[in-house]
Amino acid sequence: MIAVALRSLRHRPTAVIATFVAVFLGTALMASFATLVESAFDAHDDDREIMMIIGGVVGGWGTLIVLFAVASTVGIVAEQRGRETALLRTLGATPRQARALIVIEAAVVALVAAAGGALVASLGGAVLFDALQRATIVTRATDYDGGPASVVTTAAVVVLVSTVAAVIGSRRATRGPAGLALRAAEVPVRRLRWWRVVAGIVLVASGLASAIVTITVTGKSTNPYAAMETSGSAAVVAGVGLATLAPWFLRLFATPVGPLLRRFGAGYLAAENLTRRPHVLAGMLGPVIVLVSTAVGTLVMVAVDARTRAAFGDPEGVGDMITMLNCVLVGVISLFAAIMVINSAVAVVAHRRSELDRIWRVGATRAQLGASIALEAGVIAAIGIVIGLLGSTATAVPYSIARHEGVVPNGQLWLPPLVAALALVLTVGAAWGAYRGTTGGIRRREGWGRELQPAP
Amino acid sequence: MSMPNVSGMAHDTPALAVEGLRKRHGSGPGAVDALVGIDLAFARGTFTAIMGPSGSGKSTFLACVAGLDRPTAGRILLDGVDVTDWDETARTRMRRDRIGFVFQDFSLIPYLTAAENVALPARLAGRRLPPETVREALARVGLADRADHLPSALSGGQQQRVAIARALVTQPAVLLADEPTGALDSATAREVLGMLRAAVDDLGQTTVMVTHDPVAASYADTVVFLVDGRVAGQMAKPNADAVAAQLAHLDQLVGVAK
Repeated sequence: MIAVALRSLRHRPTAVIATFVAVFLGTALMASFATLVESAFDAHDDDREIMMIIGGVVGGWGTLIVLFAVASTVGIVAEQRGRETALLRTLGATPRQARALIVIEAAVVALVAAAGGALVASLGGAVLFDALQRATIVTRATDYDGGPASVVTTAAVVVLVSTVAAVIGSRRATRGPAGLALRAAEVPVRRLRWWRVVAGIVLVASGLASAIVTITVTGKSTNPYAAMETSGSAAVVAGVGLATLAPWFLRLFATPVGPLLRRFGAGYLAAENLTRRPHVLAGMLGPVIVLVSTAVGTLVMVAVDARTRAAFGDPEGVGDMITMLNCVLVGVISLFAAIMVINSAVAVVAHRRSELDRIWRVGATRAQLGASIALEAGVIAAIGIVIGLLGSTATAVPYSIARHEGVVPNGQLWLPPLVAALALVLTVGAAWGAYRGTTGGIRRREGWGRELQPAP
Repeated sequence: MSMPNVSGMAHDTPALAVEGLRKRHGSGPGAVDALVGIDLAFARGTFTAIMGPSGSGKSTFLACVAGLDRPTAGRILLDGVDVTDWDETARTRMRRDRIGFVFQDFSLIPYLTAAENVALPARLAGRRLPPETVREALARVGLADRADHLPSALSGGQQQRVAIARALVTQPAVLLADEPTGALDSATAREVLGMLRAAVDDLGQTTVMVTHDPVAASYADTVVFLVDGRVAGQMAKPNADAVAAQLAHLDQLVGVAK
């Protein structure tokens, strides 16, 4: 099975690249911040707390997003192997062997990528520490002490999460008898798993709880940054929770949009695909929700803080640094959400190559196919923006209330539309790019669509 | 694409004709000549089988005629109209509106029901077929009670019958079938072939079918044999044994013509 797995890897460069990029960047970022925490143990007393906060807060919330990105990418890739594993099983592979193929592949790619990421982090951690010292956030009394312990632990966690995600994905890919699997491989209609519903509800509830605590307790605290400690993470947690329920939201919103789209050919294809295969396209919706929720929530909070800092005071003089940390966090999260959107768009569209080819043979023009892909992505982006903005209120509204600006913040209200526009461009652009990449290679020669026929 | 009015056309205009059709795959020393000058005319209401050994150009011929592939030289006339130089979009519209295609792999869209698959080409053309038209098309292939099933809930033979209903529902000038029984067992294959035959007899549907199966070919009015991209003979009112004998003979000719 290992030999088959390695051979199979060479035939699936897109899937390998998607997993590799997510794991590599994820390990590099997470481990860089982990070295700060490791250094903090032996740090000068003046520095220990701030290093723990930076490493823990940025690293911690970044880790949640990174792990979500890695898990969703590996999960998508593993699940899409349904047809291949069904074929292997009809040839005599046991479900266990077929699952082993998927898991070994994911583990090998994750191991190599995590090793590369760890290497980058062992340099990146020192660079980060140096930057903090230059910015006089950390004093000269403390030395960089990030070593293999934090880097290797982080890499191991990322590899573990990737492997677990592959195990879950592979179970889906090998469910049911082999013959049925081969026929049904095209449309794995499936409900949201119960543990996913539970996880989503728990996350959304804890985001709501943070919001309530912010309004009722920490917002009234004399420490001006107590409210931020409780509300800052609410949009991240709520966003990830809402993203976990993405297939359900897609079904809920795509159905009423359907009649509008069905008026013309490309819209008909988009509408049918959106309503009939929410589980496939939800892979694109989840990251959009996380992106919009965290970016809008955090940026609005930073804006409110900047406007009201004078009124609420900043006795410890940490305001600028906290703003910087928040911006770094938004940057990390946006980067990973963007990677996830692109990864899932490429995976979803590339997976549909034979289906697009079939529709073309039946009589859809290439313009219609392209338009249907763009429309799907547009609808997904719109739903993601609505849900994401909902999630962002978990941070924005309580913090705005805590700082006496009321439910709606007093300024910089162009932030949400700006983030929404960027998310829309990113989603549609990623899907369009994936579509062009899928058909472009064939388009260059005549006779796109002949790959299912025997070579002449 | 506006097509000339059929009633205003001489009745002997072939539904489909090709003149000097050539197709070269690739270029330079590695180029392969799949078709080297084919002249054929398919009269209205006839059922023609195209046969030949592997690599004889059968599938390339069908792909060129359907506008899936562009010939290197020669003309393709659909209902007397030269469609050879039409661009990709025009050829797609032609395929959607004027040609019915049945593929070996059925080519059904997995997330659409049988009825929706049948109505898809019209949908893509921006039209909605009346529900009774779709129902009749499915009833004609004996699947009236399967209209709301997804392809994954249908057997291979049923899926191919849905594909036939889809190909016939727009009343195309010509029905093209590429190894339509290639993925079916022999009993199911006979059912599907009987339906193609019925479309010719009852609806006057001009049909061209590529196959390697002598039994399938025996359902046609005429068999055209291809060898090395050329027409190597025809047989009227074929029976399976005669076709098989002729094929065995042609296998020995492969490569000799070059």
